[in-house]
Amino acid sequence: MAEVTDSMAHAPISSEKFDLSVEQVSLHFETPNGVLKAVDEVSFGVETGRFVGLVGPSGCGKSSLLLMMAGLQKATFGDIIVEGEPLTGPRPQDVGVIFQESSLLPWKTASENVEFPLALRGVDKAERKQLATDMLKLVGLSGFEDRHPFELSGGMKQRVSIARGFCQDPRILLMDEPFAALDEQTRMTLGDELLRIWEGHRKTVVFVTHSLTEAVYLCDDVIVMSAQPGRILERIEIDLPRPRTYETMATADFGRLRDRIWRLIRGSE
Amino acid sequence: MLSSSYRVLVQAGIVLILLGLWEAAVFSGLADTRTLPPPSEIAIHIVALLGDQDVLYNLWITSAQVGLAFLIVAPVGVAIGLLLGEHEYIGRAFRPFFYFLAGVPKSVFLPVFILTFGIGFTQKVAFGIFQAIFVLVISAIAAVGSVSPTLIKVARSYGANRWQLYSQIFLPAMMPVVIEGMRLGMIFNITGVVFAEMYVARAGIGHMIATWGMSFQMPQLFAGIFLTAFLSIAVNEVLRWYERRVDKWRK
Ligand SMILES: Nc1ncnc2c1ncn2[C@@H]1O[C@H](COP(=O)(O)OP(=O)(O)O)[C@@H](O)[C@H]1O
Ligand SMILES: [Mg+2]
Repeated sequence: MAEVTDSMAHAPISSEKFDLSVEQVSLHFETPNGVLKAVDEVSFGVETGRFVGLVGPSGCGKSSLLLMMAGLQKATFGDIIVEGEPLTGPRPQDVGVIFQESSLLPWKTASENVEFPLALRGVDKAERKQLATDMLKLVGLSGFEDRHPFELSGGMKQRVSIARGFCQDPRILLMDEPFAALDEQTRMTLGDELLRIWEGHRKTVVFVTHSLTEAVYLCDDVIVMSAQPGRILERIEIDLPRPRTYETMATADFGRLRDRIWRLIRGSE
Repeated sequence: MLSSSYRVLVQAGIVLILLGLWEAAVFSGLADTRTLPPPSEIAIHIVALLGDQDVLYNLWITSAQVGLAFLIVAPVGVAIGLLLGEHEYIGRAFRPFFYFLAGVPKSVFLPVFILTFGIGFTQKVAFGIFQAIFVLVISAIAAVGSVSPTLIKVARSYGANRWQLYSQIFLPAMMPVVIEGMRLGMIFNITGVVFAEMYVARAGIGHMIATWGMSFQMPQLFAGIFLTAFLSIAVNEVLRWYERRVDKWRK
């Protein structure tokens, strides 16, 4: 018995079964009014192929957490373990990010934007052009390859961002409120398309949103955070069957889950 | 389209009226022909100057000096500005020098340039560069500030190294602001080269203008002034055209 406990203590950290594991992560900012705990001892794991949502009031540290998971921001304390190794900087093969808006390079065409992660990696022009064309087709933008971002609508731009994220082809995709700037209808359509593409590629996804409906509709799990200091309140499994449709949103289970998240967030304020 | 060609017509009309008034002022004796030749006479001299091998050679020398100075100062100025704007420590250490020196009139340094580089081609190029570099560096620093932090994060998340960040994100994103700086830099550059030619030189349109002025050859002097003005305007317009092209995506 004692031996077992001992070997347990020395066993590799639990991150083994996760693609991504956030372990006791804190992020502190020095401000004129003292230390601001943007993220406070947050831990969670994301299993391979899971679609995990991150919700919480504005300013609770969702974006900060995502930046740390992308290796773009150093945690003050704690570790982010990706594929068994702590992150020390961006690892494009493993982790990709899709940002909220205006993250396309405005001087490049849609196709060149989608090719960009591949170009940085040195993939040759013909090959990456082909991949970009395929990806743009997947997001319904065939024929728009040579348009510049200023010639595209907000929804189309986010489609290009998504195509770019999938073209980069990391194992884990982080998304920071990718649909926040879009109107309700576009955001629903894009949500459905994202699910469709995801069903095909089964990437591990962490999806930040402030829309509870969107969170319940898209995710396998929703992690609910509290504001200042940013902590995890609860992780809720969304056991609604897939594929989900517009009708799913009208079910009692859907309403119950969304209610629960809403109460958690409101209770924390 | 109609309104824009109408506007050009009105503008041309205004220029013609002003030239007409000038011509009338000279012929009515209101202005002194010894110091102010009439436009018609200046026009004749412009045509004559353009047929004169000696003048063309001097115009070529000036253009070559201005062009070479620009080819050197544009990339160097942008590179320095990028480094000073983007690199936290280097920036904090060296930015003040540029901000302070930018406020000093560069012409007072001309004698130093003569002592260092002589009175030939090299000195004119060097002085053109010196005149232009401050506005270029400062505009490039401002351009760095205009680059969206999100784009930098995007490129970093794709594993871009420092060089790729500079060449793929910073430089293209800085372009609209930098081109404006280049246009201003070009004006400073021309001013520097022509001024240095007028001060002391063996060739160049500035040298000719100074010589005509000192020997009271007023029609030639004014023709030279007009030629220099046309040349500068043409260069400025080319850069503005390029600016509009680069600016297409910014909105
Ligand atoms: N660079 C920074 N310096 C100081 N405070 C910051 C910085 N970045 C974020 N914060 C603060 O950290 C908290 C969390 O921010 P953020 O992660 O953007 O929240 P969210 O994405 O959930 O709205 C906020 O209070 C924000 O003001
Ligand atoms: Mg945010």
